[in-house]
Amino acid sequence: MPALNEEATVGDVVRGARARLQCDVLVVDDGSSDATAATARAAGAHVLQHPFNLGVGAALRSGFRIAADRGYESVVQLDADGQHDADEAMKLLERLDTGSFDIVIGSRFEAGYQAGRVRRLSMRMLARILSRRLGVRVTDTTSGFRAFGKRAIEQFARSYPTAYLSDTVEALLLAADWGFAVAEEPVRMHERQGGRPSATGAKSAFHFIRLLLVLVLHRVRRPLTRRGGLPDVEA
Amino acid sequence: MSRLEMFLLVATIANVAIVLEFVRRRKLLESFALLWLGVGAGLVVLALARPLVDRFAEAIGVTYGPTLVLALGIFFLMFVAMSLSLHVSRLEDRVEILAEEVAFLRGLRTPADVLDE
Repeated sequence: MPALNEEATVGDVVRGARARLQCDVLVVDDGSSDATAATARAAGAHVLQHPFNLGVGAALRSGFRIAADRGYESVVQLDADGQHDADEAMKLLERLDTGSFDIVIGSRFEAGYQAGRVRRLSMRMLARILSRRLGVRVTDTTSGFRAFGKRAIEQFARSYPTAYLSDTVEALLLAADWGFAVAEEPVRMHERQGGRPSATGAKSAFHFIRLLLVLVLHRVRRPLTRRGGLPDVEA
Repeated sequence: MSRLEMFLLVATIANVAIVLEFVRRRKLLESFALLWLGVGAGLVVLALARPLVDRFAEAIGVTYGPTLVLALGIFFLMFVAMSLSLHVSRLEDRVEILAEEVAFLRGLRTPADVLDE
């Protein structure tokens, strides 16, 4: 669970996830300036604190590294602002298991997600491109509500794109490269219970254009690996 | 097409090619690449739309078009220098924070410990 300045909600979300899913909860505090880490810890989560803000993708990579090291079979990524429901997370995990998928995306669209016209159009465009690359139809490519299986955990622990929006969209390109089985599951969303949205219009627009560059060049680019590499992942 | 325009066009294409190659090798962040691709696009316009430049120069009271291009170039470079300074400042802050964190970790572990395990 990546979290940035979510002290108002992170406690309830952690307690909800622990109660409903009966699982370990890791909160990656990505350089918050409030009491996010302390609140999460008090609610019973393991907490990892980045020394400064590195972005959602970096928070996820940290999480994947821990999960890979500990040999977890599956993980669920969910928001700390209360938008994602623990019961719905259960659905993602069940889908992951029954279909032996590597990634299951929680889609906001099939359950009546409201977005502005420009946003909707750009999301549809991303969905079309990624559906083609993945070979399955996906609609919500920027959803931050996903379940990952063991194979995905181990790969993503080694390389995960960290730029804004790349953490969701480019990660799916990598999944396509590696031949992962990806599925989508409609989920209900809650209104955010606190905190602020992560990006303004201008920032989204800039990163959308950046993403187009990524999408166009992806196939000819060198693989995304960290310079210096990572220690081998052992089971 | 004048020889100068040809030259500008070739230079622009080279610029774009170099930027894309850096992105391909993952040597250049995509955000910076967009900046330089934007420069490329601007240069194409300048190369192929000389009348447009002249008209624009006239409109804002510059009598000789190329001076305007030079002035814009200087403004742009100042903008780039400024944004790079901001970036470096932020990186410096982060290095300080990281160095502090490493110092704390060293408190738990000395270089000699590496061989002791």
